[in-house]
Amino acid sequence: MIDEYIRSVLIFAGIHVIAAYSFYVPFKTGQISLGQAGFMGVGAYAAGIVTAKLGLPFPLGLLFGGVVAGLVGIGVGFPALRIRGIYLLLLTLGFAEIVQVVILTWDYTGGAQGFQNIPFLEDALVWIYGIIALLVVFFARLERSSLGRAMDAVHEDETAAEVMGVDVVRIKLFAFGLGAFIAGLAGALFAHYSTYVDSVTFNILVGVEILMFVLVGGGFSYWGPLFGAMFLSLLPEFLRALRDPMELIPLSWTEHAPWNQIYDAVYEFLDFENEKRLIVYGLVLILMMVLRPQGLITRSTIRPFQLVQRRMHNA
Amino acid sequence: MPEAVDGYCLSAAGLTKRFGGFHALRDVDIAVREGSIHAVIGPNGAGKTTLFNLLSGVMAPDSGEIRFRDRPLGRLRPHGRAALGIARTFQNIRLFGHMTVLENVMLGEHWRIYPSLWRSFLKAAWHRPFGEAPEETEMRRRALETLEFVGLAEKRHAMATDLPYGEQRLLELGRALAMEPGLLLLDEPAAGMNIRETEDLDALICRVRDRGVTVVLVEHDMNLVMGISDWITVLNFGDKIAEGHPSEVQRDPAVIEAYLGEEETL
Repeated sequence: MIDEYIRSVLIFAGIHVIAAYSFYVPFKTGQISLGQAGFMGVGAYAAGIVTAKLGLPFPLGLLFGGVVAGLVGIGVGFPALRIRGIYLLLLTLGFAEIVQVVILTWDYTGGAQGFQNIPFLEDALVWIYGIIALLVVFFARLERSSLGRAMDAVHEDETAAEVMGVDVVRIKLFAFGLGAFIAGLAGALFAHYSTYVDSVTFNILVGVEILMFVLVGGGFSYWGPLFGAMFLSLLPEFLRALRDPMELIPLSWTEHAPWNQIYDAVYEFLDFENEKRLIVYGLVLILMMVLRPQGLITRSTIRPFQLVQRRMHNA
Repeated sequence: MPEAVDGYCLSAAGLTKRFGGFHALRDVDIAVREGSIHAVIGPNGAGKTTLFNLLSGVMAPDSGEIRFRDRPLGRLRPHGRAALGIARTFQNIRLFGHMTVLENVMLGEHWRIYPSLWRSFLKAAWHRPFGEAPEETEMRRRALETLEFVGLAEKRHAMATDLPYGEQRLLELGRALAMEPGLLLLDEPAAGMNIRETEDLDALICRVRDRGVTVVLVEHDMNLVMGISDWITVLNFGDKIAEGHPSEVQRDPAVIEAYLGEEETL
């Protein structure tokens, strides 16, 4: 139905969206985690064990991957309660590193050779976008719920929130655990699409990329992670597509120096593989931090829509 | 809520708090009568805000005991004290700036509607397919009532930090009232207000008291304090130097010296 290449692009973009949401939940309570890739790894391996080693169906593996990652997340969340800012970043970074080492040395799941022969998920696209739809509905409701407000309050001022009766400790643990659960789902989906994962699949850079999805999209609205992850994942494809109109430029225009060199350089640049993508990410990030540090989508972006919604509930 | 047998809403004995070698509070006793307006005054650095931080659980005392309606608070954290009925405002306004006026007040109702995190999670995730949970509608209605009480109902959709300073103070008060507290700690509610606003606040605090809320207030504005307080405790350099009815405190030589002494150094 869809071109195989486009399908794989959409699948990875979708996994990125889910991973971005896993960052968004703890961020909603003011916790910044670089360790979401670690939780993806936990989820991928836990799910892989269920399907590849025990031969159970994928939905069980997906659930198990999420739950195990979530429980590990609550475990990591406890020390995370006491620290914040740059120290929390380092703690979560350390956690992701530990996951990598454990994966590397654990022979049951292949150790350094990686986890092979994970069953291929035929309708990965449906699963992934189904989960994204569920997440969006959930976050839309969270936004308009007492719990969501309490989380925002904790993000803004923990002391004031606590004095208002919000149990800051539990809400932060909950957020960290839920974020890890979602990351576990993303990892499980990744593992069953690529059918192979190893210790470097979920390396530190993946965690940084997830952070960037949310920073670029905007962390203060639930549309931000979706938009940021989609934007950055599809950006290379769009840029590559820009080469088609370039070829329409008459040859006579670009025959001579320096035009021919510029043309070649741009043409070359728009061809993407991995390293170049990171360069563009870096440029986008620098631009964003200068021009719009709060992310592309902010609360004021969506406020007009909220007002319409509110009028519908005539309050 | 049961009232304390001895008629005291809040009592603290031997409260001491040190920061390094500095005694912010030294062996302070305080007893607040149920249904009264109780002022805590003193020059800058007397330990008033520290006292509030200890009472609301934001800080733990080095020694001493606090009882709220005969229940020792021990090391109960702030949200637990909020659940018992202790609310407070902050000297440096701490509203949630990303939220609207209405949302700030709705947050004050959080613990009452959802004592358990798990239930609030289920409620957020699972209710009828469109619109919002009935609890949410109810919270909004009550929040609006509270806003009417403090006189901010018309500004309910404004962002909290867009309000003028005096109204931000009122909003903080409203947010605390939304918790339906038995005891309300007001940290300099009139700071930054003009004379007319202060007079309105004066009346508002009395109406809060008439709702059955015991009020403890830290304030610099002596007109406000002397006009509405039933009882005054005076702190100076972390010690309690006097207490009594406003008329007594005004004539107390130790109080006069503490305030005049401060003026001399200016």
